Amino acid sequence: MSDNCFHCLESVPKGFNATVEIDGKAQPMCCIGCQTVAENIVAQGMTDYYKFRTVRSGKVEQLVPEQLELIKSYDNEDIQDEFISATNDLSEVLLTVEGITCAACAWLIEKQLLNLKAIKRVDVNTSTNRAMIQWDKSVTPLSQIITSLHEIGYKAYPFQADLEASQKQQAAKAYIRRLGVAGLMTMQVMMFAFAMYFGMFSGMEENFEQYFRWISLVLASPVILYSALPFLTNAINGLKAKQLNMDLPVSLAIFGAYGASCYATLMSVGEVYFESICMFTFLLLLGKYLEFRARLKASEFTANLQKLLPLTARIINSDNQESIIAAKKLKLGDVVLIKAGETIPADGVVTKGKTTVDEAMMTGEHQPVNKFISHQVYAGTINHDGVISIEINKIGQNTLLNQIIKLQHTALTKRPRLVEITDKVAQWFVACLLLFASITAIGWYQIDPEHAFWVTISVLVATCPCALSLAIPTALTCAVASLTKRGILIKQAHVLETLPQLTDIAFDKTGTLTQGRFTIERVELVNSQFSEADALRLAAQLESFSEHPIANAFATYNDSVNPIENVTIEPGKGITAELNEQHIAIGKSGWFDTEKADAQATLYIDKQIVARFYLADSLRGNADKLIAELHSQQIKCHMLTGDASNSGKRIAKQLNLDTVHAACSPRDKQIHVEALASEGAIVAMVGDGVNDSPVFASAHLSIAMETGADISKNSADVVLLNSDLTAIEHLLTVSKKTRRIVKQNLALSLIYNGSILPLAALGLVAPWMAVIGMSASSILVITNSLRLLKL
Amino acid sequence: MLIPIAILFVLIAIGVFFWAVKSEQFSDLNKQGHSILFEDDKEQHNKSND
Repeated sequence: MSDNCFHCLESVPKGFNATVEIDGKAQPMCCIGCQTVAENIVAQGMTDYYKFRTVRSGKVEQLVPEQLELIKSYDNEDIQDEFISATNDLSEVLLTVEGITCAACAWLIEKQLLNLKAIKRVDVNTSTNRAMIQWDKSVTPLSQIITSLHEIGYKAYPFQADLEASQKQQAAKAYIRRLGVAGLMTMQVMMFAFAMYFGMFSGMEENFEQYFRWISLVLASPVILYSALPFLTNAINGLKAKQLNMDLPVSLAIFGAYGASCYATLMSVGEVYFESICMFTFLLLLGKYLEFRARLKASEFTANLQKLLPLTARIINSDNQESIIAAKKLKLGDVVLIKAGETIPADGVVTKGKTTVDEAMMTGEHQPVNKFISHQVYAGTINHDGVISIEINKIGQNTLLNQIIKLQHTALTKRPRLVEITDKVAQWFVACLLLFASITAIGWYQIDPEHAFWVTISVLVATCPCALSLAIPTALTCAVASLTKRGILIKQAHVLETLPQLTDIAFDKTGTLTQGRFTIERVELVNSQFSEADALRLAAQLESFSEHPIANAFATYNDSVNPIENVTIEPGKGITAELNEQHIAIGKSGWFDTEKADAQATLYIDKQIVARFYLADSLRGNADKLIAELHSQQIKCHMLTGDASNSGKRIAKQLNLDTVHAACSPRDKQIHVEALASEGAIVAMVGDGVNDSPVFASAHLSIAMETGADISKNSADVVLLNSDLTAIEHLLTVSKKTRRIVKQNLALSLIYNGSILPLAALGLVAPWMAVIGMSASSILVITNSLRLLKL
Repeated sequence: MLIPIAILFVLIAIGVFFWAVKSEQFSDLNKQGHSILFEDDKEQHNKSND
C-alpha cells in the first residue's frame, strides 16, 4: 500500500488508518476530511474524477460551526440582493470556487450540483475558478448548494462581478463572434478569388466573372460591415479626439477598397479587392484578440477577490440579544459583537472587551495593534484573539477603507500616460499615406483620368498597414505569454512600453522589500537547563494554538511531541497550558510580574522565564541583488513606508536606497510619487497592501506582490505570482527585448509598404499580388515576434 | 447552381458558431475538451457491463 493519500496525494500521517474503496480497491486516506470527500464522490458514482484528473486535489478541511453559520447567512434575502440576479422563477448566482485545478474538477462539481433538486444549469469555468448556477431558490436554498460543494472538497463563496470585469467578458465574446464570421467568410471569398485568378490567366467568360464578383460581394459584406466595424469606430473616435491612430489607415484601406470594389461590381468595371480586405480583417482581428485574451486571463486571475468587508454582522439589541443581519443594514450607533478571527464590518469604537487587531490591510504592518475600551477600530481589519463589542460611528462610504478606495479612483482618472509608440508611428504613416495617395491620384488624373481612381485604390490596398498593425500586438502577446510562464502577470497593455523608460522605482517596505512576516532572529536562554532547540519546540507547540501573526514564526519548529493539555488563550497576554503537571506559558514580556525586556515572545515554566525570543521581519532574499541591478541601470530606488519606526531607515541603509519616507499615509505616498512625476521622472510603485492601492493609481506603473491584499492585486498593472523580487529584473529585460522586437517589426513592415508603394503608384500591382505581399509580410512579422516566447 | 447551397451552409455554420459563443463553449477551452471523457451515469454503465 502506498503511503500517500489517494485523494490529495499528501503523505498519510502515522497512526491514521482510514481507507475508502474506490473502483473495487481500498485506497488510503490521510485525514477525515479527505475520507469524507472521497466517500461522497464514490457514493455519487463519480469515481471517473480520479481517473481523469490531471492535477492533484487540494487537502480538505472540515467545516467549523462558524463557517456553517456564515453559509447559512447567505440565505438571508437582504444579503442575497448583492450577488443573486433573478430571471422569472429562476435565480442566478456566480460562485467563486476555491480548489478547481483541472477539467475533472469542473465535471465533478457540475455532476454533484445537478444531483440536487431544482438546479437547472451549472457551468464551471476552470480558468476563472467560477461556477455559474441557475436554480429555483424556493426549493433549494443557496446554503445547501454551498455545503454540497464542501462535501466534495471545494470551498465556495458568492462572487460579485464588477462592472469592468463583465464588460471585458462581453468584449471577449464580441471578439470571438467577429473573428468567427471573418474566418468562415474569408475562406469562401478566397475560394472564389482563386477561381478568378485562374480565370485571369486562362480566360474566363465575362458573365461568369461578373457572377463570381457578386457572390464575393455578398460573402465579404458581413466581414467588412460586422467584423471590421470596430476599426472604423476607433478611427472615428480618434479623429473626434483630434488624433490619428493606427485604426485610421486600416479603416481607410478596408472601407475604401470595399466601397471601390462594390462600385466595380455594380458597374462591372475596374478591379475587386474583396479577398484582400477580408484576409486583412481576419489577420488583424486575430492579432488583437490574442493580445486581449492574454491580458483578460491575467485580470480574471486577480478578480476573484474575497470581499474586504463581511456580508453579515452580529448585532446586539437593547435586551442583549444577538442576531445576524446584513452588514449593509447597519446604522450609526448600533452595537456589534465581534468574535475572535472575524472581520470588523464597519468603523466603530470599542465599548466592551479588549483584543488585538490586525490592521495589516490598512497600514501594511503585520504587528497587531492592542485595542481597549474607547479605541477606534476600522472596517475590514481582523479581530485576533479577544471578543469585543463596538459602537458603530462610521458606515458605508465614510469608513476609512472606502476613503482609501475613493482616493484610488480619483487618482486613476488623473493617471499620467505615456504616448504609445504605435500612435506616434500611425500619425507619421497616415500623413505620408494620404500625401502619396493624393499625389498618385493627381498624377494619374493628368495622364490617364480613366485609371486614376483604380490606381489610387490599389495604392491604398497595397500600403494597407497590415504587418504594421500586427507588429505591436503580436510582440506584446508573445512577451506576455513568456512572462506568465515565469509567474509575472501583465494586466495592462502599456506595461511593456512604459518599463524601458523607467527612471525611478518606489518600494513599500513591509511585505515588499521584507517578507511581511516574522522570523525568529535570536533566542536568549535565561534558564540554562533547556537547550535552544527544546525551548523552541515547546514554544512552537504552544504557539500552534494561536492565530497571532507572531505564532507563524514558530510554525516550522513544531513537532507536537510534548503531551500538553488544558490550553487556554489569554487575550492580550498569551497562551497557558500544562505539561507533566507543570504550568507553562508563552506570551508577552513582563507577564507574571517578571522582568521586562523588548523580546516579542517569552516562554515561562511555573511562571519563571525560560527563554526570550527576538523576532524580526527579515528582508526578502534577492532584495539587495535587485537594488544593485537597478542602480547599475541608472534607476533610482525609493522607499515609501507607512511604518513610523526607524526600521525603514535601517533597511534603506542596508540596501543603499536613494531616499526614504517613513510614516506615510496612503495620501502621503501619492504626494511623493506625484512630486517625482512632476519633475519628469517615470515612476513605478511596488507594493502589497490596501494602503498602496491609491499610490498605484498615481504611478506610471504599479507592481503588486501575490502575498498582498486582494484590492492591491486587483488595481495593479503587474502581479508577481511568486512574490520574488528578481522577477522585476526579468521584467525589465523582457520589456527591453520586446521593445527591440517591436522596432524590428515596424522596420520590416515599413520596408514592405515602402517598396510596394512605387509599384502600386505606377499601376503595376494586381489584386492577387497585393494579397500575397500582405500575407508574406504579416507572417514575417509574426515569426519575428515568436522569438519572444523563447525568453 | 451549387454556389447558393454552399452559401446556405456557411450561414448555418455561422449560426451554430454564434450559438456556441452564447452558450460559453469558448470561455473555457480546457473543460470542454475533457467533458467527452466522462460518463454521464456510472451506475448504469456498470449494469450494462454485467
